Amino acid sequence: MDFAQFRLDLTSLSDISAQLLTRPPLAVALTVIAFAMGLTLQKRWPKVALFNPTLIAIILVSLILKAAEVPYGAYLTSAQSINFMLAPTVVLLAVPVYRNRLLVRRSWKVICLGVATGASITFLGTLLIARLSAAKAETLYSLFPKSVTTGIAVGISDKIGGVPALTAVFVIFTGIVGAIFGPSILKFLRVEDDRAAGLAIGISAHGIGTAKALQMSEIAGTFSGIGMALNGIVTAIALPLCLTFARLDDHAIVVDSGLAGTFSRLFKIRF
Amino acid sequence: MIYEICRVLACLAAGEVLSRFCPLPIPGTVIGLALLLTWLCVLGRVPENLSKLADYMLGMFGLFFVPAGVGFISHVGLITADFTAIFLVIFIGTFVTIASVGLSIKLLARSKDQ
Repeated sequence: MDFAQFRLDLTSLSDISAQLLTRPPLAVALTVIAFAMGLTLQKRWPKVALFNPTLIAIILVSLILKAAEVPYGAYLTSAQSINFMLAPTVVLLAVPVYRNRLLVRRSWKVICLGVATGASITFLGTLLIARLSAAKAETLYSLFPKSVTTGIAVGISDKIGGVPALTAVFVIFTGIVGAIFGPSILKFLRVEDDRAAGLAIGISAHGIGTAKALQMSEIAGTFSGIGMALNGIVTAIALPLCLTFARLDDHAIVVDSGLAGTFSRLFKIRF
Repeated sequence: MIYEICRVLACLAAGEVLSRFCPLPIPGTVIGLALLLTWLCVLGRVPENLSKLADYMLGMFGLFFVPAGVGFISHVGLITADFTAIFLVIFIGTFVTIASVGLSIKLLARSKDQ
């Protein structure tokens, strides 16, 4: 019998951990523990906005996956149960909305204004930056639905010619950026109304922003959830339509100038 | 509690089915949200267990984004290639959206006061 076979050197150790991490119990445990650590950090130092639990968990999990040389696809398959929970949680947003139904009903003007402003500013801003930069077409198209919650954004990205997996990443980082900087931006602009703050964060930073808004107050959380849901619907309908205009105009032209075409067209329509 | 979980999943499943038949591209989760909200309005109150379930799940909302977010490790090439555009859209774009929504509502409130 060859004893060398049983030697636990570093390579076989990382092999073992790689195999284990592709199994649901370890992948789920790793994800939940990393998030719990992020939450602990956030509770311990609530003033450090960078300690966003989602961000901390993503960093920890990716470092461990890299160290153990686990391919992302294998991890995602085993952590699918966590990924799935997003959908029922979005449905559950109906509860805080119902709890604050009177305030919501009274604020319909504020909600409509917020969603209209948010959806159009996000579109125009992305278009402008896309026009100014020389990024690849698939990157740009993947960026457009960045403010919409993951499930919706991935569908939009697929429809407009982006890379859905890349969009999911952009969406999550947009959410983290919004959750980290949103409250300070609103404070700086002296937006004190919890409804306005919630809508701004939910429209720009979807579910991750809503998680942050729920920590601020239930009203902010409610309006953030409403902003997220309505912005998702409006963007899902309007974005493919807006971008079809660009394609009808400049099909067969490089996408960069195709986007420029949309831009000038939009301005011609508007002014 | 299991009944409340059933109710939420039923809304979600019905939402998915309806979104297939809906001519507009409204996602199943959003239709599910609308269905649950309608049910709550008809019922006229939030059952205690549903309330608990919502608080519990929404308290961990950020966790459910982690698996998809880790996906950036498989797109490092694409992300570094177009880093400037991505950075500008994700940072500046998001800041501008937050500021414009917050300010527009503030202006609306102020115009109402006067």
